[in-house]
Amino acid sequence: MEANFKYDYSKLKKRPSYPFETIAVAISFSPRMEAVLCETKRMVENYKSNLILIHIGERNTEKEDVLDTNLKKANIDKEKCRIIWMDGDATDLILKICKLNIVDLLIMGAIEKENLFKYYVGTIARTISRRAKCSVLLLTHPSVQPKPFRKLVVNGIDNPKTIHSLKTAMYVAKAESSKEVAIIQEVNMPALTMTIAESSTAPEASKIKKDMVQEESIKLANMVETLDKTGIEVAIKSVNGKPGYAIGNYARSKNADLLIFNSPDTHLGIFDRIFTHDIEYVLADIPCNLLIVHSRV
Amino acid sequence: MAKLAHNELVTLLMAIAIMMLLSRVLAEFGRRYKLPMVMGELIVGILLGPTIFGALFPDLFLKVFPRTGNVAIALDGITNMSVVMLLFVAGMEVQLPMVLKQGRKAVITSLSSMIIPFVVGFAMAWYGSDYFAFTTPDRKLLFALFLGTAMSISALPVIARILMDLNLFKTKVGQIIIASAMFNDLIGWLIFSVILSQLENTSSEGTALTIVYVVIFGLFMLTIGKKIIDKALPWMQKKLSWPGGVLSISLGLCFASAALTESIGLHAILGAFICGIAFGDSVHLNIKAREIIEQFVINVFAPLFFVSIGLKIDFAANFDVVLVVVILIVAIVGKVVGAGLGAYFAGFTRNESLAIGFGLNARGAMEIILGTLALNAGLIDRPVFVALVVMALVTSILSGPMMRKFMSNQ
Repeated sequence: MEANFKYDYSKLKKRPSYPFETIAVAISFSPRMEAVLCETKRMVENYKSNLILIHIGERNTEKEDVLDTNLKKANIDKEKCRIIWMDGDATDLILKICKLNIVDLLIMGAIEKENLFKYYVGTIARTISRRAKCSVLLLTHPSVQPKPFRKLVVNGIDNPKTIHSLKTAMYVAKAESSKEVAIIQEVNMPALTMTIAESSTAPEASKIKKDMVQEESIKLANMVETLDKTGIEVAIKSVNGKPGYAIGNYARSKNADLLIFNSPDTHLGIFDRIFTHDIEYVLADIPCNLLIVHSRV
Repeated sequence: MAKLAHNELVTLLMAIAIMMLLSRVLAEFGRRYKLPMVMGELIVGILLGPTIFGALFPDLFLKVFPRTGNVAIALDGITNMSVVMLLFVAGMEVQLPMVLKQGRKAVITSLSSMIIPFVVGFAMAWYGSDYFAFTTPDRKLLFALFLGTAMSISALPVIARILMDLNLFKTKVGQIIIASAMFNDLIGWLIFSVILSQLENTSSEGTALTIVYVVIFGLFMLTIGKKIIDKALPWMQKKLSWPGGVLSISLGLCFASAALTESIGLHAILGAFICGIAFGDSVHLNIKAREIIEQFVINVFAPLFFVSIGLKIDFAANFDVVLVVVILIVAIVGKVVGAGLGAYFAGFTRNESLAIGFGLNARGAMEIILGTLALNAGLIDRPVFVALVVMALVTSILSGPMMRKFMSNQ
């Protein structure tokens, strides 16, 4: 494959985050390769998707043999998928390949918590998660005997992207026959504690807090109302804490199978890791499998 | 060990009781009219101080609030402690990630809302130096830097309250105002602590060293210090008695940090403020714990500090109308134009930009603390201080109605 890409962005623009017509998987020759491929196989069948396998690194017969063996173990028909081998900067190339091939979902394996140095410098999986123009699924515990995602946790923050994440969550929930979907409203009021401490009676303070939460809840409930929830048990939960951290904690405490999160609003850099906020809390310590929804609408 | 005599102890306790009780009465009265609590506390100080009570009953005033001796020293110690704690809780409300989260718009707005008022304030002090009475002419640069800083800070709690009352807190305009106010506070206090440390250190090497210390201390506390606090807080909240454990350790850390910065030649307030940011930004800080710390400081120590200001200064004798008007105009124009232009170039509409300008224009208690420290350090004289206090109050009162006006034009 040529390294000089010419993009046709028109196909990408306004493309919704679902269905997952094309799934790509980034392969690394690690001990988890077989498990990641097994998970991918399950998803490709479940979502009736086309599959692209991407490996960035030197191509040699030894690697080809290992890949063939693992594809066979995962029961993936080599003839029914595309395999892209390229050499160069892994992050840039994977992102380019995804754009060029109109990939809807990129699957990667990721460890839950990187060591401090790796986290700040940025690993491939996490850097791609921050920059990808398609949805990204990070598998923290891929298994050779994959199971569907039964318990889903979705962010319900006040953001234009949330509606797309919620719609994608419903699509995933149906495909996975999920038992429950928890939509999390994170309650965080920066700068208000001192204000309330200064000038409110106890009933006033609780009313202020209640009103602010309620206003958000109504907005979220109205949004949820528009979703097609047939056959899915959906619950809206309010959780106190900083956005990103609170939902991550919730997902961990409930043993969620999949956490669904909006893609970042801005280009995230090292400062966002030092002064952690939102998705960076989740990426710092991934609580379970993580789906970052990138809608191009 | 020296200790207060029986009658001195009685005087001190009575003074504290009067300050706290009267300030509470006036603060509650002001609350009905949505006036900032600090206003009631300042008025109590003016009523009890040399402006009114001291002028009418000078002997009784000096008996209740002695200006010399052990009681005066004890009261001064309490107010110094109060200001350290006030800066700690002010820091607790600053969440730097919020500025990053708001992205480009917040950066443009906050930078513009700092730089333009700073330049205007600096220019006023520099070119109008003949008008301002300096203690020594070699402090002209520091005075100009101070006035620039005084023009550029904002009062986060006042702003948050106004946004809440106008139901704008969660809007894009509200979030930009909050993020910019946090950024302004951080930079403003950093600059101010460098200025204060320069009062006793005039060499250029000393200045460079101070800046290096500020940067090292700030970076350490906001990265490694914050990580340590993050690790320790869950343990503290789980294993220590509640809420005493977290209250005493948080304030203990605040004083330790203040002592550290004071010992390395920076002002104690910087240590308290940065420690507050590191502590308040922790995801593990329980909301209840945050409320307890802030309620304790705001309702016990803030009144003592703000009332004591009025006890020390004769506001009538030091009220210079021209100075007050000039500082007021420069403060309002600098901030509204600075923040407004920044917001406009960041993509907000004309009316939204003006609302953001007037929102950030509220100076509130932060300005008064800044002025008090500058006055105590001999950087400004009393008429300038009084003008700053008036400016802080007027801008705080003006913010709400002006924001309402421009947002309703949307």
